[in-house]
Amino acid sequence: MKKLLLLAAATVGLGLTAQAPARAADFSKARIDVIVKATTSQYWATVFDGARAAAKVLGLQISTLGATSEADVAGEVTIMENAIASKPTAIVIAATNAAALAKPIAHATAAGIPVIVVDSDANTSKYVTFLATNNHTGGVKAADELARCIKARTGKVAGQMAYLTALAGAQSLNDRDKGFLDELKKYPGLKIVAHRTGNNDPARALTDSEDILTRNPHLVGIFADNEIEGDGAGTALSEKNLGSKVCLVSFDTSSEEINFVKKGVIDALIVQNPFMMGYAGVWYALAAAHGVVFPHYVDSGVSVVTKANIDSPAMAGLLNPKKYTLTPFLGE
Amino acid sequence: MASAPATTPSGPAVADEAQASSLRHRLPVEIYVLGFTVLVWVGLGVFSRYFLTAGNISNMMRQVSIDAIVAFGELFPIILAGIDLSVGSVAALTGILFAMMLAAHLPVLLALPLTVALGLLIGLINGLAIDRLGIPAFIVTLAGLQGFRGLTYLVSGGMTVAGMPSSLDLVARTSIAGIPTMFVLMAVIGLVSHFILRYTRLGRYCYAIGSNAESARRVGINVTQVTLVCYCIAALFAAFAGMLLVSRLTMGNPNAGVGAELQAIAAAVVGGASLFGGRGTILGCFIGSVLFTTIGNGANLLGVSSFWQMVIEGLLIALVVYVDNIQKKRQAGVR
Repeated sequence: MKKLLLLAAATVGLGLTAQAPARAADFSKARIDVIVKATTSQYWATVFDGARAAAKVLGLQISTLGATSEADVAGEVTIMENAIASKPTAIVIAATNAAALAKPIAHATAAGIPVIVVDSDANTSKYVTFLATNNHTGGVKAADELARCIKARTGKVAGQMAYLTALAGAQSLNDRDKGFLDELKKYPGLKIVAHRTGNNDPARALTDSEDILTRNPHLVGIFADNEIEGDGAGTALSEKNLGSKVCLVSFDTSSEEINFVKKGVIDALIVQNPFMMGYAGVWYALAAAHGVVFPHYVDSGVSVVTKANIDSPAMAGLLNPKKYTLTPFLGE
Repeated sequence: MASAPATTPSGPAVADEAQASSLRHRLPVEIYVLGFTVLVWVGLGVFSRYFLTAGNISNMMRQVSIDAIVAFGELFPIILAGIDLSVGSVAALTGILFAMMLAAHLPVLLALPLTVALGLLIGLINGLAIDRLGIPAFIVTLAGLQGFRGLTYLVSGGMTVAGMPSSLDLVARTSIAGIPTMFVLMAVIGLVSHFILRYTRLGRYCYAIGSNAESARRVGINVTQVTLVCYCIAALFAAFAGMLLVSRLTMGNPNAGVGAELQAIAAAVVGGASLFGGRGTILGCFIGSVLFTTIGNGANLLGVSSFWQMVIEGLLIALVVYVDNIQKKRQAGVR
């Protein structure tokens, strides 16, 4: 996974030197539009951070754009259409809805604007590359972490499980849940007894978690497929002092979740690398505008953060983008 | 109740007798909703062995508290034949600022009055825009729904605010005589609101303005003043809810209270309030909130799909308003 990323970055390096022999190439006229699903979450703010870091290294302009809510599919389509009309050098976009963004992305490509799709795919192949977390793999890792935690606590891999989906109809969440459920088949002792779908509403995530714990007093594990559900489940467990009894694994990270990991309420966080999506996304976008060809899919990787490694430097940047240190190759 | 006919028939005693009998047969819609809620409770008690347990009841008491407080506030503009769509966003904005103040180590006793003041200020802005500028309440507060949510994201950068002092747990996780503190707070706020609406001049003016604003003005009611107070109460209660959410979630979350305005309106309407004004009670709001919380809790305990839960809630709103309309028609027919 990491190798592939570096390989792609190497291609970029080669491409840039091929196109612009001078080391201090001037990209100050280049403008890359970075469009995310929602400008209002920590996750997408981190994508922007990565994009800005790349823009600084490369000396180009970026515009950071996005709707205010991930539910606003039409809003993102409008933003994409406006971006195409403004003729940027390239576009980096995370598709809120695979079907709705397919045509706008194809239009941009047809208009000669290279598109790098990050995080969430669209139903089209008319873009340069798809740089994203393999959400299915992340779900698989979540199931493995839960099994490991349950075995450590009860001595056997068996018991009742629940999982929480943050929002209906989001492809990345569906993939996480599917990866989780697929991998769970390897552990026949673990049975799913409850599943709730929320609306990215923190109060509802808490309520649903409380009710699941009421209904299933023998629950041994919970999988939360994003940080809002993870916050809710973590709060419910600490409210009922069940942190040491029920294993909890959550996708993504928030400041409260990090506290929960340190307190032992959350056993593992499945953490993506949004900084790298923004950083490499902008770099790839510029390279693509100079004719570099990329593989159709590049995995940006998922990491498992536990109490044991949460303070390690390798994880620090993933949990707090301000501490992100670029590898020597990707840096200046 | 403002449910009595507006005009008295001037016919013979027979008509009076008929009217009296129709009044006897017309129970306030709250009673039906209360009966239905009790039925749902009995049903859930039979079908889920976890429903009527102390743990679940105390969970539900905490779950209903914040929704009910928002609904109590929402009732005031609704009685005026107005509406406040901004309460969810106001709860988020006041909540996130409250959380940021606490995260910056401001004492709770300082952050609390500041947040309350902010809530009142927002209510004043809403009220002035509606009454002085003459912009419809729906539009003013729709702008607020969007604008205050935007401010919430701006001040927080879209991120959750963690690091709340442990003293905040005193509200969300303690009980007074076995009853969750949050529920007690909600009950106090409800009782005060009930008293205002029922026994004070201000409360009676609210119903008068909601029934007919022009006649209220002509008999000398200061409509501007009452309007301002009502929108201030809605925003103030939203601020209370915002702070309680921070305490319950142990963090400030910019997504808090999304859709709370619709939940509050639904609770008020199911509890017998009319969106055309002049009708609605705090008790009804409370029963409406309890019913929605019960449905959510019941769906979770029975493992009913989250999507069916939404369908059931929608059907319920339609059904209650339908029953209420039938009653009003029957009453009008007799008259």
